[in-house]
Amino acid sequence: MIVALAVAIGVTLGLVLQPTVPVDLQPYLPIAVVAALDALFGGVRAWLERIFDDKVFVVSFVSNILVAALIVYVGDKLGVGGELSTAVVVVLGIRIFSNAAAIRRHVFRA
Amino acid sequence: MSLLVDIATSALEPGYAAAAARRSSAASTRPRALLVCGTVLAATLLVVIAAVQAHQRAPAASRNRERLLAQVQAHDATIAALQRRLDAARADTTRLQDAALASTAAGERLSARLGSEELAAGTVAVTGPGLRVTLDDDPQGRNRVLDRDLQGVVNALWAAGAEAIAVDGQRLTAESAIRQAGEAILVNFQPVTPPYDVQAIGDPVALETSFGASRSAATMRAYGQLYGLRFHYGRESALSLPAAPGLSLRYARSEVTEGSR
Repeated sequence: MIVALAVAIGVTLGLVLQPTVPVDLQPYLPIAVVAALDALFGGVRAWLERIFDDKVFVVSFVSNILVAALIVYVGDKLGVGGELSTAVVVVLGIRIFSNAAAIRRHVFRA
Repeated sequence: MSLLVDIATSALEPGYAAAAARRSSAASTRPRALLVCGTVLAATLLVVIAAVQAHQRAPAASRNRERLLAQVQAHDATIAALQRRLDAARADTTRLQDAALASTAAGERLSARLGSEELAAGTVAVTGPGLRVTLDDDPQGRNRVLDRDLQGVVNALWAAGAEAIAVDGQRLTAESAIRQAGEAILVNFQPVTPPYDVQAIGDPVALETSFGASRSAATMRAYGQLYGLRFHYGRESALSLPAAPGLSLRYARSEVTEGSR
């Protein structure tokens, strides 16, 4: 319940304030979004499997975003930013997909 | 492949299992709701910001494109207007020149010479019989006519004895260039679009025979069979070619005039 409230507040804040991301941070936005989605799906799956842990959730969210941003930053400096972004998206994308599949199995038993 | 399998099988943070194992052994701790909510809020905010950003940027890109297009069209219109003014001014100059020259016998001779040289240089519009060559891209859009195909056709037409040539209404002169700029072909620095209409004034029969036997025509026929480019040509009893946009020689000087002065 309280989590749904947090989601609602997040959506409203984002839509009402319409914050603009600084140009310097814009390359990190897509990666950060994928990392956030990964943490969210992981959290939901863990909750459904009754092993949810708040500390693991928060730490995985923060560290995922930081590591993803770091990879993109280093990649940009090395001139392979696009490729490393792709790598992050592939890895996190697969994780999101299999977590989503696990959540589907839990919810629909199919 | 085992890497991908690893990622897929350990999709859930291993930390959750470890924490669950710790919790079952130790006393269970109450989830800190505030912390979790804060993180969920942050994650949601991130996703929404990204969505808003993407939403705002898409119309901006298309707006920029439209603005550029409008600018290009406005500049094209300006060029056309200036060109019309230039043509009018040039016609005036010619009329005044003729009037001034017609007053003396030497002037008459000069006028006649000027007329024939202008004709040859392409600075006056001309009419006459000739050959019309049409080139077009592959109708399926896979293969395109290139600048060098047009160059080949034009050179073959000159070689076949053409006296004046225009490509899509752009009269060719000694200063003309046919070249590719990105996806477009420029003739006299003006973009021309397919189908390319090449008109050449000359003896129609000789032009047709000689051009038909040229290597360029053979190449274009082969391209037609291999790549689907359209190519055909035919005699025309009356063609009218416009004047060239202008010959302005800035460095070349006439030896004859300089010497006689």
